[in-house]
Amino acid sequence: MSRIDHSQLQGNILRGYRFGLVRHMLLEVTDRATVRAFLGVAAQGGGAEVPAITVDQPPDKTWPRDQKPASCFNIGLTFAGLRALGVAPGDLATFPTEFREGMAARATKLGDFGESAPRAWSQPFNRPEQIHLVASIHADSTAELDKVDTQVSRAFAVRGRLDGYALAQDKVYFGYTDSISQPKFSHVKDEVEPIDPYGTVLLGEPTRQEGLKFGVPTPQVLGHHGTFNAFRVLRQHVTAFEQYLDRAATELLNHPDSALVLPLDAQFSDGEKPLDRHGMLREVVAAQMCGRWRNGVPYGSSPDTMPDPASVPLTEYDYGRGSRCPVGSHMRRTNPRGGAIVQRIANYTRRLVRRGMSYGPIHTEGDSEPEVGLLGNFIGASLGAQFEAVMCDWLNLGLQDPDITGANDPLIGANSSETSWFDVTLRNGGTIRLRGFPRFVSTRGGVYTFLPSMPAIRYLARLKG
Amino acid sequence: MGEQHRNLARKLVTALQRKDGDRKRRPVHTFGTGASGHFIPSPVAAGFCDAEHFRSPTPATIRFSNGSGSAVRRDGWSDVRGMATRFHLSDNKATDLIGMTLPVFFTPDGESFLKFAIEARPRPCQRATPWQKFRDMLRLTPPVPDPYDGETISPDAGAIAFAHQHDYARAGVFQAATIGAPQSYARAAYHAVHSFVATGADGTQRWVRFSWQPVSGVLTTDPEKDPVIDDYLQAELARRLRNGPALFSLMMQVGEVGDDFNDPTRAWPPHRVRIMMGTLYVEKMLDDVTTEKLSFNPHLLTRGIAPSDDPVLWVRKSAYEVSSGRRRGTPCPFHGER
Amino acid sequence: MQRKAGWLDKFVDDLPSQGWFQFLSRHLVVPYWIWRDPKPVLPGGPRPSVQPSESVQRMMNLIMPLKDPSPIGRARAALAISQNVDEIFAGLDNVGTVHNARFLLLDGNICMLSVYDGDFSNYIRDFIATIGSVFDAVMKEVEGGDAMVPTTEHIEEFIDWVCAHDLFQAPDIATDLFNLQDAAKGIAPGSLPHDLRLLPRELILQLHSNPNISLGGGYRAYPGYSAAQVRQKFGVGW
Repeated sequence: MSRIDHSQLQGNILRGYRFGLVRHMLLEVTDRATVRAFLGVAAQGGGAEVPAITVDQPPDKTWPRDQKPASCFNIGLTFAGLRALGVAPGDLATFPTEFREGMAARATKLGDFGESAPRAWSQPFNRPEQIHLVASIHADSTAELDKVDTQVSRAFAVRGRLDGYALAQDKVYFGYTDSISQPKFSHVKDEVEPIDPYGTVLLGEPTRQEGLKFGVPTPQVLGHHGTFNAFRVLRQHVTAFEQYLDRAATELLNHPDSALVLPLDAQFSDGEKPLDRHGMLREVVAAQMCGRWRNGVPYGSSPDTMPDPASVPLTEYDYGRGSRCPVGSHMRRTNPRGGAIVQRIANYTRRLVRRGMSYGPIHTEGDSEPEVGLLGNFIGASLGAQFEAVMCDWLNLGLQDPDITGANDPLIGANSSETSWFDVTLRNGGTIRLRGFPRFVSTRGGVYTFLPSMPAIRYLARLKG
Repeated sequence: MGEQHRNLARKLVTALQRKDGDRKRRPVHTFGTGASGHFIPSPVAAGFCDAEHFRSPTPATIRFSNGSGSAVRRDGWSDVRGMATRFHLSDNKATDLIGMTLPVFFTPDGESFLKFAIEARPRPCQRATPWQKFRDMLRLTPPVPDPYDGETISPDAGAIAFAHQHDYARAGVFQAATIGAPQSYARAAYHAVHSFVATGADGTQRWVRFSWQPVSGVLTTDPEKDPVIDDYLQAELARRLRNGPALFSLMMQVGEVGDDFNDPTRAWPPHRVRIMMGTLYVEKMLDDVTTEKLSFNPHLLTRGIAPSDDPVLWVRKSAYEVSSGRRRGTPCPFHGER
Repeated sequence: MQRKAGWLDKFVDDLPSQGWFQFLSRHLVVPYWIWRDPKPVLPGGPRPSVQPSESVQRMMNLIMPLKDPSPIGRARAALAISQNVDEIFAGLDNVGTVHNARFLLLDGNICMLSVYDGDFSNYIRDFIATIGSVFDAVMKEVEGGDAMVPTTEHIEEFIDWVCAHDLFQAPDIATDLFNLQDAAKGIAPGSLPHDLRLLPRELILQLHSNPNISLGGGYRAYPGYSAAQVRQKFGVGW
């Protein structure tokens, strides 16, 4: 039995809620006492005017798994938020540097430059000092979201709202099925990937790296079993992506080694209608860039055809020497699994919990295309050792394999068409280098938050002064 | 667009003309020294740029120059130097590579360059008074250097004032102000400053920048000593070439994601991948009449190498043409193009 | 016509070479400006960069003052390295991102100089995970080091400590110093005008705040390649 008390953890860390809608409220603490009172009630099961913070598992275990509450409510605090609530300076100093500096200050490391630079971020992210809390409401109806929203709005100054929703079949706007592979913790049964220790997401627990412990901010009640979240608003440039697939497919169609990319007699459909060779090559490019076919099937398991996802295990695979899944694909960059990497000691050490919902379309004057994208949460016990480490060395730069060093993630990396490249793998072990694709995902905003445990929220509510 | 560039170019050439200059000569880089030689590409060059001169040895004409537009030759004064190289390709075609000892340009586009040319126009300069110098020393600021003997006007004060207000001009103005004088035209490094798009043998395009590195090394004169000779660089080069060719390595930096491909005021840091593209052998002096008639143009390119969108590079195309026409040089390669 | 230099000009021009004036500058003028215009200490190590070639072959110049700078203390520090050779090679071979690392005893300091690929904190963290014991042995000899032993349990503090002791790397483009100083004060680079003539003073004052610095980011004959890329090209495996 695990010694983790699940009734004392916020519910959005170890598992996803699988509601259809989300609303993230970006809040400023303008009246400390009101907020403390609000948090006190919220962390004790809520009240008439205050929503309850959803926990991982209620103490009396009265939630049957199939009877979800009408909505779930969780909070994360920025460093400015902890300060605004009156955490003592000596304790504030025990939080890790990257969190204290905040996401905007770490922009270069995260590849947020040019149109993704913090100075170009949309409101309220261009005023990060005003964002103290991110409150996330999950529900299946807007009415439920609004109900909680109204309650929250009474205690805080609302600086922004971001509404997201789940696309059908867990899709994202690029057409991929998402959220298939997540870290598996001791309480979840797993297939081939090793179990992730709780220290991956909970401060104070042992991590994947032998003997290595992330610092727990003080006091113990505040830091213990808390975790960190990189909340990001990521715009997806769908038209540019689809246009690029057209161009790349044409290039591969006319390439002398075309048959080595995909057998000339290959036949598959997109799930609805059969595809011509150009259409199939588009899907191959999309699949190699991601590491999965757009229907979710791991590309390495079936490189010559896009099979029915029900027929293939979606998470049971590894990246051996002969894998057709490109080393530079998005999946292999973010989680190389047991595959060979330069930093041999780092396999499985930079795992993250990802929770994302789509947003948009937002129509902005002067913008040729309505904005769509992803509201992403990237959760882990150390922003520096997990989120940032993946972003700056693996997702961009590609340090983990000399064959991709110097190239960024083709799908979400910080690319420019003058310099980008990606190697498509061939059936004979060779590659064809694709070039000239633009950045398909740009950053519109984001904050680093601390997701406190329930005792920590009660501690914050009790602070004086 | 073309006409707009030409209008701006006309204004630029006029603004650059110094009042102590000679209208029959170039408005800047007035004094030059010509030489001929040939360029031998390195074995890897064609892989990165498929242009003819990177595939096979090519005859070349070179004009070294002093940056100043004054009508009096002052080799020993601190000044930016130029090295314009014409590669003579087959079928009477040619391509130019124009470098200077400054690694960056002063401004990011033509309009701002016109503004700079006007604001940094040479003004009367005087020795700072002892009190000004003493005050500077107390401010921990090096005093303004005394003018050279015979120097009555200088662009420095205007350029520094311009850089004070425009951060993009800082690097160029700072380096220009402290650049010194080379011991020899063959002992300076020259940078082509703009980005170009090089197409490799396999069709790959790269955004690149070129620099000439002197094989004999970079050597400037001692700034502590008074420059005694006004005209030594030409004779030095002639002497040097009598003993054998002067060699330059052509190095090509490859731009990376996040680099500014269209802004010549920003140098790329020295850690970019550098490709050894070949060696230039400067062999024989040319007579002054031939040299001064030459009309180079940074836009005279060839298949395998294309201009970036750098607006300064584009306005230079017209500026060189206007200048060539005004001094009645050999017609600019783009003369009459509309 | 230019003004001729008189005796006063010559006197003033000669001042910087006069002993009494140098004394005055050092003990009065410089301290005055340090008081008037103090510079924040600029952070150590290479700056984050989106360019791949800036993110490989980066330099660490770590200067750590010894608790006991006597020959006895320095010998202890020397032993801390020489008794851990297996540990060090196991680290080098498995972290995979280090081109070279050197240790020096320099006056009362032990210095660790290395060239590595990628993000600084990942490099340090991976190293601690593999050879934390070597870092512990070294840290025990270093002033203020005890608080961070064992390093495996003080990862974030240790990374911050190393950052603070790694030398500031002066910009490769001299005029970029203005922007770095502005950034350290939270001012957006390029938003303030700066008089180029004040750059020498800015440097003097900065060298007061950062007495030891690395002059530029280093000069490389084959820039832009990671250790693993070099090993792969030579066919010796990575």
